[in-house]
Amino acid sequence: MKKFYVFKRILYTLLVFAAVVTLCFFIPRLGVDDPAARYYPAQGNMSDESYELIKELTRKQYGLDGSTWSQYTRYLGGLIRGDLGNSYRAGSPKVWDLMAERLPWTLVLSVSGMVICLFFGIVIGTHCAMKRGLWQDRALMNASTITTAVPSFFIALMLTYFLGFTLEIFPAYTDQNLVSSFDWSLKSIGSVAYNAALPIISTAIGGIIGNAQGIRNSVIAVTGEKFIVTARAKGVKRRGVLYKHVLRNALLPVVTGLGMSLSGLIGGSVVIEQIFNWHGMGTLYLEANNTNDYPLMMGIMIFISGIALAANLVTDLCYCLLDPRVTIGDKR
Amino acid sequence: MKAVKRIAGSTAAFIKKIWMQKQGRIGLILLTLLALVAVFAPLIAPYDPYDVAQRADKGLAPSLEHPLGTSITTGQDVFSMLIYGTRVSLLVGLITGISIALLGSVLGVAAGYLGGITDMLLMRIVDVMIVIPTLPLTILITNVFGKSYVVIVLVFVLFGWTGLARTVRSLVLRLKNADYVKSAELAGAGRWYIMKTHILPSVSHLVIMSTALSCAGIMIAEAGLSFLGLGNPTAISWGKMLAEAQSGGSMLFGQWWTIIAPGIGIFISVFAFMRIGLAIEGILNPGMKGKNGMNKLIKHMGNRYLDEVLSSMEDAE
Repeated sequence: MKKFYVFKRILYTLLVFAAVVTLCFFIPRLGVDDPAARYYPAQGNMSDESYELIKELTRKQYGLDGSTWSQYTRYLGGLIRGDLGNSYRAGSPKVWDLMAERLPWTLVLSVSGMVICLFFGIVIGTHCAMKRGLWQDRALMNASTITTAVPSFFIALMLTYFLGFTLEIFPAYTDQNLVSSFDWSLKSIGSVAYNAALPIISTAIGGIIGNAQGIRNSVIAVTGEKFIVTARAKGVKRRGVLYKHVLRNALLPVVTGLGMSLSGLIGGSVVIEQIFNWHGMGTLYLEANNTNDYPLMMGIMIFISGIALAANLVTDLCYCLLDPRVTIGDKR
Repeated sequence: MKAVKRIAGSTAAFIKKIWMQKQGRIGLILLTLLALVAVFAPLIAPYDPYDVAQRADKGLAPSLEHPLGTSITTGQDVFSMLIYGTRVSLLVGLITGISIALLGSVLGVAAGYLGGITDMLLMRIVDVMIVIPTLPLTILITNVFGKSYVVIVLVFVLFGWTGLARTVRSLVLRLKNADYVKSAELAGAGRWYIMKTHILPSVSHLVIMSTALSCAGIMIAEAGLSFLGLGNPTAISWGKMLAEAQSGGSMLFGQWWTIIAPGIGIFISVFAFMRIGLAIEGILNPGMKGKNGMNKLIKHMGNRYLDEVLSSMEDAE
């Protein structure tokens, strides 16, 4: 039965992925009637024949020859082999290579941001739960009211102004030589950290407060459980109860949420990357948008969706392994 | 006529309920103020920011003539821009929020109550749409169909109803098995009658709450898109004001007010909708009042699904 469930689940994920790919493939083709005509507008002194020839050559060069259907099957075929096609940029680099170059830089921002959010969120959240109803707790409540209502890019702009321009503690814009001069020496790692500080802080502020509020609530909920009372009654110290019993249970939902936020790690910081001119996936996507580089845009969207689907699948399968009652009908 | 009267009466009663809560009162007052500002913008604003002739020197500091100075790129009065920006933000937020509520609740009720192939089809569509990252998708669609608020609203609505529909569906599935619905069925009531008189009223509170919250979330998203330069290029919006201030070098010249002003505008409008959402949650769930409403709100704004809200409601029952 279980094997059957796993098989069904994987098959379904693949179907959803195919639907996503189809959507991503056809949306750009809805608006652009003839890409070749768009790149080479007809010129007065050109005969119709040579214009047609140029358009045909352009289509071949960018892989746009043949009917839409044959382009689609070609794209799917490439995708199965792990090929996301070629970008429209000069030299037609592989979409995959362009993304692979940017991905680590985005992960630098998002993974370190996530770690910071988790760490400080747990510390602050637990502290406030312990000080329930006191000023620390109320301060967290008020802070979370403000940070949810303020977009993170506004926080980023404020930080750039105060820490970057006025106090000059951190660089307001990313050093443009950062990427090209990067070697694994301590000095360049240090300069990456120095340049990444502001973008990370500006995304982390909202995340820390949100996480802290969530953890505070789940810690308080767990503290009310009977097994905590039992542990206290049998003489376990307050601190021991907190680490061994309360936190272990309170952090479960946080860990589950991590899997879900995986796709947000890659696509979520477009605006922040744009503000700091960070050399990541978000700015790559915006560059592709400015140059109408549809294969690149499709590739990034398919990549992010694929990661999200894979993360969902893994979480579901883990649940299935851990909980014998789960079947496919149960899901939501 | 009777129906109109009834709806008006229940709406008034509902607004009164929101007003009775401290949270809701703050939200309603702020929202009314914003709406007045948006409607009477030409009367309140000292200058017309769309009028090229009324532009002053670029990047002036605040003075009596220009309370918030002038913009650094075009020399428009920042205070007037701030007032006119309310229009775009409120309009996009409200239209999108209400359309999402309508589409999401209708499709959710249809999926939950009709079941069978309707349910199957709708939920498969939801599964696909929820996976696609929203911001990149919106950017792609504005690229293909042109930059305008109409396109942005359409994308938000077409891809935003999924979370609400899913939540409404699971609520309807629970209501469907409630005794009073079962007895109405036994008494021979038709499908439409049951949907209209028993299911929709029970769902409506949840839908109104989610409307308030999704308005808030969409205003933030709209500001982000305008900031990236994907909104209507000729309109004045808070996100675009921020982008112009940043690219024009306001920060370099120490003109922090041109950045703070639109930020505060965004904050107030999002804050108002969030307060109203919280108040409705308090009405829905008197037991949960103030306990972790904020937490649920954060989660909702983050991933636009109401699943958590609903599951915690189940816990509370």
